Amino acid sequence: MCAQPVTNTKEVKWQKILYERQPFPDNYVDRRFLEELRKNIHARKYQYWAVVFESSVVIQQLCSVCVFVVIWWYMDEGLLAPHWLFGAGLASSLIGYVLFDLIDGGEGRRKSGQTRWADLKSALVFITFTYGFSPVLKTLTESVSTDTIYAMSVFMLLGHLIFFDYGANAAIVSSTLSLNMAIFASVCLASRLPRSLHAFIMVTFAIQIFALWPMLQKKLKACTPRSYVGVTLMFAFSALGGLLSISAVGAILFALLLVSISCLCPFYLIRLQLFKENIHGPWDEAEIKEDLSRFLS
Amino acid sequence: MEDERSFSDICGGRLALQRRYYSPSCREFCLSCPRLSLRSLTAVTCTVWLAAYGLFSLCENSMILSAAIFITLLGLLGYLHFVKIDQETLLIIDSLGIQMTSSYASGKESTTFIEMGKVKDIVINEAIYMQKVIYYLCILLKDPVEPHGISQVVPVFQSAKPRLDCLIEVYRSCQEILAQQKATSTNP
Amino acid sequence: MVLKAFFPTCCASADSGLLVGRWVPEQSCAVVLAVAHFPFIPIQVKQLLAQVRQDSQVGVAVLGTWCHRRQEPEESLGHFLEGLGAVFPHEPWLRLCRERGGTFWRCEATHRQAPCPPGEDQVMLIFYDQRQVLLSQLHPPAVPPYRHVGADPTSPGGLAAVFHTVARCEALFRSDRFDEGPVRLSHWQSEGVEASILAELAKRASGPICLLLAGLLSLVSAVGACRVFKLWPLSFLGSKLSTCEQLRHRLEHLRLIFSTKKAENPAQLMRKANTVASVLLDVALGLLLLSWLHGRSRIVHLADTLIPVADHVAEELQHLLQWLMGAPAGLKMNRALDQVLGRFFLYHIHLWISYIHLMSPFVEHILWHVGLSACLGLTVALSLLSDIIALLTFHIYCFYVYGARLYRLKIHGLSSLWRLFRGKKWNALRRRVDSCSYDLDQLFIGTLLFTILLFLLPTTALYYLVFTLLRLLVVAVQGLIHLLVDLINSLPLYSLGLRLCRPYRLAAGVKFRVLEHEAGRPLRLLMQINPLPYCRVVHTYRLPSCGCHPQHSWGSLCRRLFSGELIYPWRQRSDKQD
Repeated sequence: MCAQPVTNTKEVKWQKILYERQPFPDNYVDRRFLEELRKNIHARKYQYWAVVFESSVVIQQLCSVCVFVVIWWYMDEGLLAPHWLFGAGLASSLIGYVLFDLIDGGEGRRKSGQTRWADLKSALVFITFTYGFSPVLKTLTESVSTDTIYAMSVFMLLGHLIFFDYGANAAIVSSTLSLNMAIFASVCLASRLPRSLHAFIMVTFAIQIFALWPMLQKKLKACTPRSYVGVTLMFAFSALGGLLSISAVGAILFALLLVSISCLCPFYLIRLQLFKENIHGPWDEAEIKEDLSRFLS
Repeated sequence: MEDERSFSDICGGRLALQRRYYSPSCREFCLSCPRLSLRSLTAVTCTVWLAAYGLFSLCENSMILSAAIFITLLGLLGYLHFVKIDQETLLIIDSLGIQMTSSYASGKESTTFIEMGKVKDIVINEAIYMQKVIYYLCILLKDPVEPHGISQVVPVFQSAKPRLDCLIEVYRSCQEILAQQKATSTNP
Repeated sequence: MVLKAFFPTCCASADSGLLVGRWVPEQSCAVVLAVAHFPFIPIQVKQLLAQVRQDSQVGVAVLGTWCHRRQEPEESLGHFLEGLGAVFPHEPWLRLCRERGGTFWRCEATHRQAPCPPGEDQVMLIFYDQRQVLLSQLHPPAVPPYRHVGADPTSPGGLAAVFHTVARCEALFRSDRFDEGPVRLSHWQSEGVEASILAELAKRASGPICLLLAGLLSLVSAVGACRVFKLWPLSFLGSKLSTCEQLRHRLEHLRLIFSTKKAENPAQLMRKANTVASVLLDVALGLLLLSWLHGRSRIVHLADTLIPVADHVAEELQHLLQWLMGAPAGLKMNRALDQVLGRFFLYHIHLWISYIHLMSPFVEHILWHVGLSACLGLTVALSLLSDIIALLTFHIYCFYVYGARLYRLKIHGLSSLWRLFRGKKWNALRRRVDSCSYDLDQLFIGTLLFTILLFLLPTTALYYLVFTLLRLLVVAVQGLIHLLVDLINSLPLYSLGLRLCRPYRLAAGVKFRVLEHEAGRPLRLLMQINPLPYCRVVHTYRLPSCGCHPQHSWGSLCRRLFSGELIYPWRQRSDKQD
């Protein structure tokens, strides 16, 4: 097939098909081949402030972890009485609960079909189980070294931050795993506290800050973006303040981290878009665009 | 008629092949492996005893020394009686069968006789052995159920492992007898 | 084709005569069975052969002539022998001739009839020992047993045909040297049967005795099968105690021995003999043990040592538990759980010790009666010993069960909570792990429990490990005893003895030896019996044992140990008996 006479090639035009025998070698392509080259089809243009606004979810989660650790430190040092924390937590939970329904006028509740009785039941289950298990939690890690516990908690909190559902559509995201890791870390840390009441209140607080607070945030972000920004700023400043009362260096580092995530990273992302060079063409593997699910059933 | 030739086995050791032609229909091939060398025997014995002496100086228990002597003796006996094969004989008798005998160093003989009716053919085969490819002679047995199938492959000279030149020698003689057998059995 | 003549070694020195034997045409081999001497009347020879043919259903005929030259000039005899070919027509006609003092024989085979060219074939002389070939039993049997009934007795091919011929023509060998028959034959002769009165009496008496004993045995088994023993506690005990198993097994053996049915084939006969030998050995060893035990008040000694040993074991266990309740090997265990478990087990040991002390006055009597059971056989005594060990280490078994149950609970809980931790669940319908969205409270409680179980696991695992090791020790001892019992039960002693004293009786095949050879003379081979190797004797004739086949492989055993499933020393009675 390769040794075809030259006259033939002039007459026969090459076609990009396989179902006919053509007088060309198998790897032959002609001049028109690169005409179909496309660049950066899927590239998106980002607005700087929009990106900064979206990054606030990360800020919020970092601040949650920070606040949790700070509160735990206060409890461990005995600077914060558990009753105060419990009272504050209860109050903020109630406020949050009311807000949760007020923001969208109870529309979300009607959609999901969640009754208040179910909420009460969940709350009761939390409280009872945590209270019942708190003596066990107290003695659970007695014989394990404190450093081991710290290391485990750090890994678990890191895992919580990594697997958290920030709204990205990726395989690694698993909100269940993320929440479980946070609870595991809180149980580990709570078992280091001096008394079982402390442990109980610490675990309750962990549920509030890791499970309930993100739900409220999500709703705030969806309904009133303006107030959401305010809440985020307030939350970040309170976390920074709490950290400052423990360690100035830590607070500065944390502030730098927050600033870099909210301001520098978006800027860098937009700059890097300029260097994007994605080429697409007929050599790409086939992609099925049509929705084929109707054939499956 | 009897003659003796020397070949080498796959590791380069010397083998002596004795051929005895009793009659046109009966031939015997006898492969003699090298005898147990004094050097290796001494080396093994010395190693065992030195190890035992080392243990003895550590534990100060004279049981170890006597145990070492017993182990050496029993090991030697077992080796001579069950492992070390001195001679392997292939006796092929027309219209009767093929007999393989291996004589151990202690004098024990183990014999297998295969009737000619069960023998399908004798072939030289290749096999992967450790890190090399070796040739071996083997007897193919007929499957009693299916006349063209092979039910079993019996390797010959399993312990001597001679090289191809020696195998070809034996193979040709065997094939002569098998050809006679086939010729007579097809037109009696 | 080479003609093979099988010639019995015992006829090599016989006087000249006729070769009597069978011609196997498909292998062109002549099996000489005997030599008929001069003088004879041809009609009588023919009558004798016809009779043998009828008895054995083997085509016995006169194959040729045998000429043994003792004196120099016997030309006339030679001519006479040639003439006999006309009287006994046979194709081909063999002429064997032995010179005086010569080791090399002359052997010719002539065809006289048309299609084959008249002339001589190549002849190969194969000597065989008639007695060994007659008595030996080829392994594996060349002819399946049901073929014997068929009309065609010449079915086996190859060398098995030779064996078959010799075995079937036993009628030919019945006459001995001193018989004054019409035809004088030379063949292998038995030394004569020692017909003592005692043997004859025993033979006569064995029938009724067997009948009686079989009746007794069926009575015993009927009592054993009666309904009282089928009730729950008794049947459960019967299936768990190895003594009962062993007794049942022995009963089965005795029934086989005393059954009045005649053994149909050699394999069954051998099995019966092996069973007898095994039972006899067992009882002999048991009686030995009995005499040892009941002499010089050894029972009392034994009883005196047994209780302190049990006490000692309990004390050691207490020490072990106290060690575990501390910080064993520097391991970090949960103190509270450790204390709870330790106290629980300590209380158990306390109970056990008091039980032992309650028992101690009766131990001597119990042992005395147990010792009596040795007269039923060593195996029964050993099984009893195994049961006693199981009873005396009951506390270890209990600990093991508690530990294993706790551990199993933890492992199962942890594995399912770990799935919950990752947001997955086990789909029982599809037998796979699916992802699942949990509620908030489910997640919370699951994780809480997961954490607690994870941190408590090392404590439970350590207790489980220690008690499993103890349990494995006991199981290993019991396993050794069972192995010994199994060995006595299943070792084919009679076959092994036969192999040792009469190697030719159990033949794996034949082997040939080339005898001295001279050019121009026929090739001479000596056929010998190749005895069955010992391992194959054991493999072929081992008696079916109690069914103590190892239930798990090592891998599955380890897996079961890891997942906390219980392991038992007593195995279920397997169904594949025999």
